[in-house]
Amino acid sequence: MHDARELESYIRRKFAEHVGLSEAELFSEDLTLAALISRSPKMTNSVDLMEAFARTSNGLRKDYGLRVRLPALSLDTPVSKVLDVFLHEVLNPERKSA
Amino acid sequence: MTIQTPKAQSVEVSLPPSPSPFNGGAVAEGRPAIMLELHDALTRQGLSLVDLTWEQQRLHESRRWSVVEMLGAVDFTRLSDSDRHLVWNAGRAELTTKPGADRLERLADLECRRWLEKDPTVAAIMQACGTWSRYWNEEEAHHETAFNRLSTVMRLEPVSNATFIEFRKVFPDDDMLRTLTLLAISEVVAAVNYGQCAAIIQDPGLKALFKQVAADEIQHMTYFVAFAKALVDSGAYKAKEAFAVAHLFLRDGGEVHGSKRERVEARGTHVNWWDHLEHREGMYTPDALHKKEQLIFHALKRITGITVDSREAVEDTWMDLVGC
Repeated sequence: MHDARELESYIRRKFAEHVGLSEAELFSEDLTLAALISRSPKMTNSVDLMEAFARTSNGLRKDYGLRVRLPALSLDTPVSKVLDVFLHEVLNPERKSA
Repeated sequence: MTIQTPKAQSVEVSLPPSPSPFNGGAVAEGRPAIMLELHDALTRQGLSLVDLTWEQQRLHESRRWSVVEMLGAVDFTRLSDSDRHLVWNAGRAELTTKPGADRLERLADLECRRWLEKDPTVAAIMQACGTWSRYWNEEEAHHETAFNRLSTVMRLEPVSNATFIEFRKVFPDDDMLRTLTLLAISEVVAAVNYGQCAAIIQDPGLKALFKQVAADEIQHMTYFVAFAKALVDSGAYKAKEAFAVAHLFLRDGGEVHGSKRERVEARGTHVNWWDHLEHREGMYTPDALHKKEQLIFHALKRITGITVDSREAVEDTWMDLVGC
Protein backbone atom coordinates (compact mmCIF):
# COMPACT_ATOMS: atom_id res chain seq x y z
CA MET A 1 0.00 0.00 0.00
CA HIS A 2 1.41 3.35 -1.03
CA ASP A 3 1.40 6.39 1.20
CA ALA A 4 -1.52 8.67 0.26
CA ARG A 5 0.38 11.89 0.98
CA GLU A 6 3.28 10.78 -1.17
CA LEU A 7 0.92 9.91 -4.02
CA GLU A 8 -0.89 13.23 -3.72
CA SER A 9 2.39 15.09 -3.84
CA TYR A 10 3.44 13.08 -6.91
CA ILE A 11 0.16 13.72 -8.75
CA ARG A 12 0.29 17.46 -7.97
CA ARG A 13 3.86 17.72 -9.22
CA LYS A 14 3.41 15.68 -12.37
CA PHE A 15 0.09 17.23 -13.36
CA ALA A 16 1.47 20.77 -12.90
CA GLU A 17 4.48 19.79 -15.00
CA HIS A 18 2.32 18.44 -17.85
CA VAL A 19 0.03 21.46 -17.72
CA GLY A 20 2.97 23.86 -17.76
CA LEU A 21 1.92 25.87 -14.68
CA SER A 22 3.41 26.01 -11.18
CA GLU A 23 1.83 23.90 -8.45
CA ALA A 24 1.11 27.11 -6.53
CA GLU A 25 -0.77 28.71 -9.42
CA LEU A 26 -2.65 25.54 -10.19
CA PHE A 27 -3.79 24.54 -6.72
CA SER A 28 -3.79 27.66 -4.53
CA GLU A 29 -6.28 29.36 -6.86
CA ASP A 30 -8.15 26.07 -7.39
CA LEU A 31 -8.54 26.82 -11.11
CA THR A 32 -11.33 25.22 -13.11
CA LEU A 33 -10.27 23.04 -16.02
CA ALA A 34 -11.49 25.71 -18.44
CA ALA A 35 -9.34 28.36 -16.71
CA LEU A 36 -6.42 25.94 -16.65
CA ILE A 37 -6.60 25.41 -20.43
CA SER A 38 -6.80 29.14 -20.95
CA ARG A 39 -3.75 29.88 -18.78
CA SER A 40 -1.58 26.94 -19.78
CA PRO A 41 1.14 27.73 -22.31
CA LYS A 42 0.96 24.11 -23.50
CA MET A 43 -2.77 23.69 -24.05
CA THR A 44 -5.28 24.61 -26.71
CA ASN A 45 -8.33 22.52 -25.81
CA SER A 46 -9.71 19.55 -23.87
CA VAL A 47 -7.70 17.05 -25.93
CA ASP A 48 -4.54 18.61 -24.47
CA LEU A 49 -6.11 18.30 -21.03
CA MET A 50 -6.85 14.62 -21.62
CA GLU A 51 -3.22 14.19 -22.58
CA ALA A 52 -2.03 15.82 -19.32
CA PHE A 53 -4.22 13.35 -17.39
CA ALA A 54 -2.84 10.48 -19.46
CA ARG A 55 0.78 11.46 -18.85
CA THR A 56 0.14 11.74 -15.12
CA SER A 57 -1.56 8.32 -15.12
CA ASN A 58 1.28 6.80 -17.11
CA GLY A 59 3.74 8.21 -14.57
CA LEU A 60 1.82 6.55 -11.73
CA ARG A 61 1.95 3.28 -13.61
CA LYS A 62 5.68 3.54 -14.30
CA ASP A 63 6.79 4.79 -10.89
CA TYR A 64 4.26 3.06 -8.59
CA GLY A 65 2.78 0.24 -10.68
CA LEU A 66 -0.69 1.77 -10.33
CA ARG A 67 -3.16 1.57 -13.22
CA VAL A 68 -5.48 4.55 -13.23
CA ARG A 69 -8.33 4.94 -15.71
CA LEU A 70 -8.73 8.45 -16.95
CA PRO A 71 -11.50 10.58 -15.51
CA ALA A 72 -13.88 12.40 -17.89
CA LEU A 73 -14.67 15.66 -16.15
CA SER A 74 -16.55 18.76 -17.26
CA LEU A 75 -14.61 21.95 -17.88
CA ASP A 76 -16.10 23.72 -14.85
CA THR A 77 -14.54 21.14 -12.52
CA PRO A 78 -12.01 22.71 -10.09
CA VAL A 79 -8.51 21.23 -9.98
CA SER A 80 -9.03 20.19 -6.33
CA LYS A 81 -11.80 17.87 -7.53
CA VAL A 82 -9.49 16.46 -10.22
CA LEU A 83 -6.96 15.69 -7.52
CA ASP A 84 -9.66 13.98 -5.43
CA VAL A 85 -10.72 11.84 -8.38
CA PHE A 86 -7.14 10.83 -9.13
CA LEU A 87 -6.49 9.93 -5.48
CA HIS A 88 -9.74 8.02 -5.25
CA GLU A 89 -8.81 6.01 -8.32
CA VAL A 90 -5.33 5.34 -7.01
CA LEU A 91 -6.58 4.21 -3.61
CA ASN A 92 -9.50 2.21 -5.07
CA PRO A 93 -7.92 0.62 -8.13
CA GLU A 94 -10.87 -1.70 -8.84
CA ARG A 95 -13.25 1.17 -9.50
CA LYS A 96 -13.50 3.13 -12.73
CA SER A 97 -14.13 6.82 -12.99
CA ALA A 98 -17.58 7.92 -14.11
CA MET B 1 -14.72 24.29 -76.55
CA THR B 2 -15.92 27.71 -77.67
CA ILE B 3 -13.90 30.87 -77.08
CA GLN B 4 -15.31 34.37 -77.57
CA THR B 5 -12.77 36.62 -79.32
CA PRO B 6 -12.65 40.40 -78.71
CA LYS B 7 -14.69 40.85 -81.90
CA ALA B 8 -17.28 38.46 -80.58
CA GLN B 9 -16.46 35.81 -83.16
CA SER B 10 -16.80 32.27 -81.98
CA VAL B 11 -13.76 30.11 -82.53
CA GLU B 12 -13.95 26.36 -82.14
CA VAL B 13 -10.89 25.02 -80.34
CA SER B 14 -10.23 21.35 -79.98
CA LEU B 15 -8.20 20.63 -76.89
CA PRO B 16 -6.15 17.46 -77.10
CA PRO B 17 -6.66 15.03 -74.24
CA SER B 18 -3.84 15.46 -71.75
CA PRO B 19 -1.76 12.49 -70.68
CA SER B 20 -3.18 11.07 -67.50
CA PRO B 21 -0.90 9.88 -64.70
CA PHE B 22 -3.59 7.41 -63.69
CA ASN B 23 -3.55 5.28 -66.82
CA GLY B 24 -0.11 5.60 -68.28
CA GLY B 25 -1.04 8.47 -70.57
CA ALA B 26 -3.97 6.79 -72.33
CA VAL B 27 -6.86 9.03 -73.35
CA ALA B 28 -9.54 7.15 -71.45
CA GLU B 29 -9.64 7.80 -67.74
CA GLY B 30 -10.91 5.35 -65.17
CA ARG B 31 -13.77 5.82 -62.80
CA PRO B 32 -13.14 8.86 -60.58
CA ALA B 33 -12.02 7.90 -57.09
CA ILE B 34 -10.56 9.30 -53.90
CA MET B 35 -6.77 9.14 -53.79
CA LEU B 36 -6.40 6.86 -50.77
CA GLU B 37 -2.58 6.73 -50.89
CA LEU B 38 -2.04 10.45 -51.17
CA HIS B 39 1.49 10.60 -49.76
CA ASP B 40 2.61 7.88 -52.18
CA ALA B 41 0.86 9.67 -55.05
CA LEU B 42 2.76 12.88 -54.32
CA THR B 43 6.14 11.25 -53.75
CA ARG B 44 6.69 7.95 -55.56
CA GLN B 45 4.12 8.52 -58.32
CA GLY B 46 5.07 12.19 -58.70
CA LEU B 47 1.54 13.55 -59.10
CA SER B 48 1.10 17.29 -59.00
CA LEU B 49 -1.55 19.38 -57.26
CA VAL B 50 -3.10 19.97 -60.69
CA ASP B 51 -3.43 16.19 -61.16
CA LEU B 52 -4.98 15.74 -57.72
CA THR B 53 -7.38 18.63 -58.25
CA TRP B 54 -8.54 17.10 -61.53
CA GLU B 55 -9.37 13.88 -59.74
CA GLN B 56 -11.27 15.80 -57.06
CA GLN B 57 -13.20 17.65 -59.76
CA ARG B 58 -14.05 14.46 -61.67
CA LEU B 59 -15.34 12.74 -58.54
CA HIS B 60 -17.33 15.79 -57.49
CA GLU B 61 -18.98 16.10 -60.89
CA SER B 62 -19.81 12.40 -60.98
CA ARG B 63 -21.62 12.69 -57.65
CA ARG B 64 -23.61 15.89 -58.17
CA TRP B 65 -27.33 15.78 -57.55
CA SER B 66 -30.18 18.28 -57.48
CA VAL B 67 -31.82 19.31 -54.23
CA VAL B 68 -34.79 20.70 -56.15
CA GLU B 69 -35.35 17.40 -57.96
CA MET B 70 -34.95 15.33 -54.79
CA LEU B 71 -37.40 17.47 -52.83
CA GLY B 72 -39.87 17.16 -55.69
CA ALA B 73 -39.98 13.41 -55.08
CA VAL B 74 -40.98 13.68 -51.40
CA ASP B 75 -44.65 12.93 -50.67
CA PHE B 76 -45.47 15.10 -47.64
CA THR B 77 -48.72 13.28 -46.98
CA ARG B 78 -46.80 10.08 -46.22
CA LEU B 79 -44.49 11.55 -43.59
CA SER B 80 -44.99 10.74 -39.91
CA ASP B 81 -44.33 13.15 -37.04
CA SER B 82 -41.17 11.19 -36.37
CA ASP B 83 -40.01 11.64 -40.01
CA ARG B 84 -40.63 15.37 -39.73
CA HIS B 85 -38.62 15.57 -36.54
CA LEU B 86 -35.69 13.77 -38.19
CA VAL B 87 -35.77 16.33 -41.02
CA TRP B 88 -35.89 19.22 -38.56
CA ASN B 89 -32.92 17.92 -36.55
CA ALA B 90 -30.90 17.26 -39.71
CA GLY B 91 -31.51 20.77 -41.03
CA ARG B 92 -30.25 22.39 -37.84
CA ALA B 93 -27.26 20.07 -37.59
CA GLU B 94 -26.19 20.76 -41.17
CA LEU B 95 -25.94 24.48 -40.43
CA THR B 96 -22.63 23.80 -38.67
CA THR B 97 -20.86 22.32 -41.70
CA LYS B 98 -20.23 25.59 -43.50
CA PRO B 99 -18.11 27.05 -40.67
CA GLY B 100 -16.34 23.68 -40.52
CA ALA B 101 -15.44 23.82 -44.20
CA ASP B 102 -14.55 27.53 -44.11
CA ARG B 103 -12.22 26.88 -41.21
CA LEU B 104 -10.64 23.86 -42.91
CA GLU B 105 -9.87 25.89 -46.00
CA ARG B 106 -8.20 28.63 -43.94
CA LEU B 107 -6.31 26.26 -41.62
CA ALA B 108 -5.09 24.09 -44.50
CA ASP B 109 -3.67 27.10 -46.33
CA LEU B 110 -1.97 28.39 -43.16
CA GLU B 111 -0.45 24.97 -42.53
CA CYS B 112 0.58 24.68 -46.18
CA ARG B 113 2.63 27.87 -45.94
CA ARG B 114 4.07 26.85 -42.57
CA TRP B 115 5.36 23.58 -44.07
CA LEU B 116 6.40 24.88 -47.48
CA GLU B 117 10.14 25.13 -46.86
CA LYS B 118 10.43 22.44 -44.23
CA ASP B 119 8.55 19.69 -46.08
CA PRO B 120 7.01 20.48 -49.50
CA THR B 121 5.14 17.15 -49.56
CA VAL B 122 3.29 17.99 -46.34
CA ALA B 123 2.61 21.45 -47.78
CA ALA B 124 1.12 19.81 -50.88
CA ILE B 125 -1.08 17.50 -48.75
CA MET B 126 -2.38 20.56 -46.89
CA GLN B 127 -3.06 22.40 -50.14
CA ALA B 128 -4.85 19.38 -51.65
CA CYS B 129 -7.01 19.26 -48.52
CA GLY B 130 -7.77 22.98 -48.62
CA THR B 131 -8.61 22.73 -52.31
CA TRP B 132 -11.00 19.83 -51.72
CA SER B 133 -12.77 21.81 -48.97
CA ARG B 134 -14.59 23.77 -51.71
CA TYR B 135 -16.31 20.56 -52.87
CA TRP B 136 -17.07 19.55 -49.30
CA ASN B 137 -18.60 22.97 -48.63
CA GLU B 138 -20.73 22.81 -51.80
CA GLU B 139 -21.95 19.28 -51.08
CA GLU B 140 -22.83 20.16 -47.49
CA ALA B 141 -24.80 23.15 -48.81
CA HIS B 142 -27.03 20.59 -50.55
CA HIS B 143 -27.69 18.83 -47.25
CA GLU B 144 -28.36 22.00 -45.27
CA THR B 145 -30.71 23.54 -47.80
CA ALA B 146 -32.55 20.28 -48.56
CA PHE B 147 -33.48 19.57 -44.95
CA ASN B 148 -34.20 23.19 -44.00
CA ARG B 149 -36.33 23.74 -47.09
CA LEU B 150 -38.35 20.63 -46.21
CA SER B 151 -38.79 21.96 -42.67
CA THR B 152 -40.01 25.29 -44.02
CA VAL B 153 -42.46 23.75 -46.48
CA MET B 154 -43.85 21.47 -43.75
CA ARG B 155 -44.16 24.46 -41.39
CA LEU B 156 -42.00 22.89 -38.70
CA GLU B 157 -40.55 25.04 -35.93
CA PRO B 158 -38.58 27.73 -37.81
CA VAL B 159 -34.84 28.11 -37.37
CA SER B 160 -34.46 31.66 -36.08
CA ASN B 161 -31.78 33.96 -37.41
CA ALA B 162 -30.23 33.89 -33.94
CA THR B 163 -29.90 30.09 -34.08
CA PHE B 164 -28.63 30.23 -37.66
CA ILE B 165 -25.92 32.72 -36.66
CA GLU B 166 -25.08 30.76 -33.49
CA PHE B 167 -24.65 27.54 -35.48
CA ARG B 168 -22.37 29.33 -37.96
CA LYS B 169 -19.72 30.04 -35.32
CA VAL B 170 -16.31 29.01 -36.64
CA PHE B 171 -14.52 26.30 -34.68
CA PRO B 172 -11.24 27.16 -32.92
CA ASP B 173 -8.09 25.93 -34.66
CA ASP B 174 -6.23 22.81 -33.59
CA ASP B 175 -3.51 20.45 -34.77
CA MET B 176 -4.33 19.40 -38.36
CA LEU B 177 -4.29 15.64 -37.73
CA ARG B 178 -6.66 16.05 -34.80
CA THR B 179 -8.88 18.27 -36.94
CA LEU B 180 -9.04 15.77 -39.80
CA THR B 181 -9.69 12.85 -37.45
CA LEU B 182 -12.46 14.76 -35.71
CA LEU B 183 -14.05 15.61 -39.04
CA ALA B 184 -13.78 11.97 -40.17
CA ILE B 185 -15.51 10.80 -36.98
CA SER B 186 -18.15 13.51 -37.27
CA GLU B 187 -18.92 12.21 -40.78
CA VAL B 188 -19.07 8.63 -39.45
CA VAL B 189 -21.64 9.63 -36.82
CA ALA B 190 -23.66 11.64 -39.34
CA ALA B 191 -23.57 8.89 -42.00
CA VAL B 192 -24.70 6.20 -39.58
CA ASN B 193 -27.49 8.42 -38.23
CA TYR B 194 -28.75 9.25 -41.73
CA GLY B 195 -28.51 5.59 -42.76
CA GLN B 196 -30.63 4.65 -39.74
CA CYS B 197 -33.16 7.34 -40.67
CA ALA B 198 -33.32 6.08 -44.26
CA ALA B 199 -34.00 2.55 -43.00
CA ILE B 200 -37.00 3.59 -40.93
CA ILE B 201 -38.61 6.20 -43.21
CA GLN B 202 -41.41 4.80 -45.40
CA ASP B 203 -41.79 7.52 -48.06
CA PRO B 204 -39.50 6.61 -50.99
CA GLY B 205 -38.64 10.26 -51.74
CA LEU B 206 -37.50 11.13 -48.21
CA LYS B 207 -35.82 7.74 -47.84
CA ALA B 208 -33.81 8.44 -51.02
CA LEU B 209 -32.79 11.87 -49.72
CA PHE B 210 -31.45 10.48 -46.43
CA LYS B 211 -29.65 7.67 -48.31
CA GLN B 212 -28.06 10.18 -50.68
CA VAL B 213 -26.87 12.39 -47.82
CA ALA B 214 -25.52 9.36 -45.92
CA ALA B 215 -23.58 8.32 -49.03
CA ASP B 216 -22.14 11.83 -49.35
CA GLU B 217 -21.02 11.77 -45.69
CA ILE B 218 -19.25 8.44 -46.22
CA GLN B 219 -17.45 9.94 -49.19
CA HIS B 220 -16.40 12.94 -47.05
CA MET B 221 -15.22 10.60 -44.29
CA THR B 222 -13.09 8.74 -46.83
CA TYR B 223 -11.47 11.99 -47.96
CA PHE B 224 -10.70 13.05 -44.36
CA VAL B 225 -9.19 9.65 -43.65
CA ALA B 226 -7.06 9.89 -46.81
CA PHE B 227 -5.70 13.33 -45.87
CA ALA B 228 -5.08 12.24 -42.26
CA LYS B 229 -3.29 9.07 -43.43
CA ALA B 230 -1.10 11.13 -45.74
CA LEU B 231 -0.01 13.31 -42.81
CA VAL B 232 0.86 10.25 -40.72
CA ASP B 233 2.63 8.63 -43.71
CA SER B 234 4.72 11.79 -44.09
CA GLY B 235 6.19 11.25 -40.61
CA ALA B 236 5.40 14.85 -39.68
CA TYR B 237 2.31 13.94 -37.61
CA LYS B 238 2.02 11.35 -34.84
CA ALA B 239 -0.63 8.64 -34.60
CA LYS B 240 -1.34 9.61 -31.00
CA GLU B 241 -3.29 12.69 -32.15
CA ALA B 242 -5.71 10.54 -34.14
CA PHE B 243 -6.16 8.18 -31.19
CA ALA B 244 -6.68 11.12 -28.80
CA VAL B 245 -9.67 12.33 -30.82
CA ALA B 246 -11.08 8.81 -31.12
CA HIS B 247 -10.81 8.43 -27.34
CA LEU B 248 -12.52 11.81 -26.87
CA PHE B 249 -15.51 10.38 -28.76
CA LEU B 250 -15.49 6.82 -27.43
CA ARG B 251 -14.69 7.23 -23.72
CA ASP B 252 -17.40 7.02 -21.06
CA GLY B 253 -19.56 10.10 -21.53
CA GLY B 254 -17.73 10.80 -24.80
CA GLU B 255 -18.77 12.88 -27.80
CA VAL B 256 -20.26 9.92 -29.67
CA HIS B 257 -23.19 9.99 -27.23
CA GLY B 258 -23.94 13.59 -28.22
CA SER B 259 -26.97 15.19 -26.61
CA LYS B 260 -27.97 11.89 -24.98
CA ARG B 261 -25.29 12.47 -22.37
CA GLU B 262 -26.38 13.44 -18.88
CA ARG B 263 -24.34 16.56 -19.21
CA VAL B 264 -23.30 18.36 -22.38
CA GLU B 265 -20.39 20.80 -22.17
CA ALA B 266 -21.50 24.41 -22.57
CA ARG B 267 -19.30 25.95 -25.29
CA GLY B 268 -19.30 29.61 -26.14
CA THR B 269 -16.83 29.22 -28.98
CA HIS B 270 -18.68 26.96 -31.43
CA VAL B 271 -21.52 24.47 -31.88
CA ASN B 272 -20.91 20.73 -32.11
CA TRP B 273 -23.98 19.50 -34.02
CA TRP B 274 -24.12 16.20 -32.12
CA ASP B 275 -24.65 18.12 -28.86
CA HIS B 276 -27.73 19.87 -30.24
CA LEU B 277 -29.90 17.07 -31.60
CA GLU B 278 -33.24 17.24 -29.81
CA HIS B 279 -34.78 13.96 -28.66
CA ARG B 280 -38.53 13.99 -28.17
CA GLU B 281 -40.80 11.53 -26.44
CA GLY B 282 -42.19 8.93 -28.84
CA MET B 283 -40.03 10.05 -31.78
CA TYR B 284 -37.45 7.78 -33.40
CA THR B 285 -33.82 8.61 -32.56
CA PRO B 286 -30.94 7.08 -34.53
CA ASP B 287 -28.21 5.48 -32.43
CA ALA B 288 -26.35 2.36 -33.72
CA LEU B 289 -23.41 2.89 -31.40
CA HIS B 290 -21.78 -0.42 -32.31
CA LYS B 291 -21.75 0.48 -36.00
CA LYS B 292 -20.22 3.88 -35.26
CA GLU B 293 -17.53 2.28 -33.10
CA GLN B 294 -16.65 -0.23 -35.82
CA LEU B 295 -16.31 2.51 -38.43
CA ILE B 296 -14.14 4.58 -36.08
CA PHE B 297 -11.86 1.58 -35.44
CA HIS B 298 -11.62 1.08 -39.20
CA ALA B 299 -10.78 4.76 -39.75
CA LEU B 300 -8.03 4.57 -37.11
CA LYS B 301 -6.58 1.50 -38.81
CA ARG B 302 -6.49 3.29 -42.16
CA ILE B 303 -5.03 6.50 -40.76
CA THR B 304 -2.38 5.00 -38.48
CA GLY B 305 -2.02 1.34 -39.49
CA ILE B 306 -2.80 0.34 -35.89
CA THR B 307 -5.58 -2.20 -35.32
CA VAL B 308 -8.01 -1.77 -32.41
CA ASP B 309 -11.28 -3.59 -31.75
CA SER B 310 -12.72 -2.02 -28.60
CA ARG B 311 -13.09 1.30 -26.82
CA GLU B 312 -10.69 0.05 -24.15
CA ALA B 313 -8.11 -0.80 -26.80
CA VAL B 314 -8.40 2.73 -28.19
CA GLU B 315 -7.72 4.18 -24.74
CA ASP B 316 -4.86 1.78 -23.98
CA THR B 317 -3.21 2.40 -27.36
CA TRP B 318 -3.56 6.15 -26.99
CA MET B 319 -2.02 6.07 -23.49
CA ASP B 320 0.89 3.97 -24.74
CA LEU B 321 1.45 6.43 -27.59
CA VAL B 322 1.30 9.42 -25.20
CA GLY B 323 3.96 8.07 -22.82
CA CYS B 324 4.94 9.75 -19.55
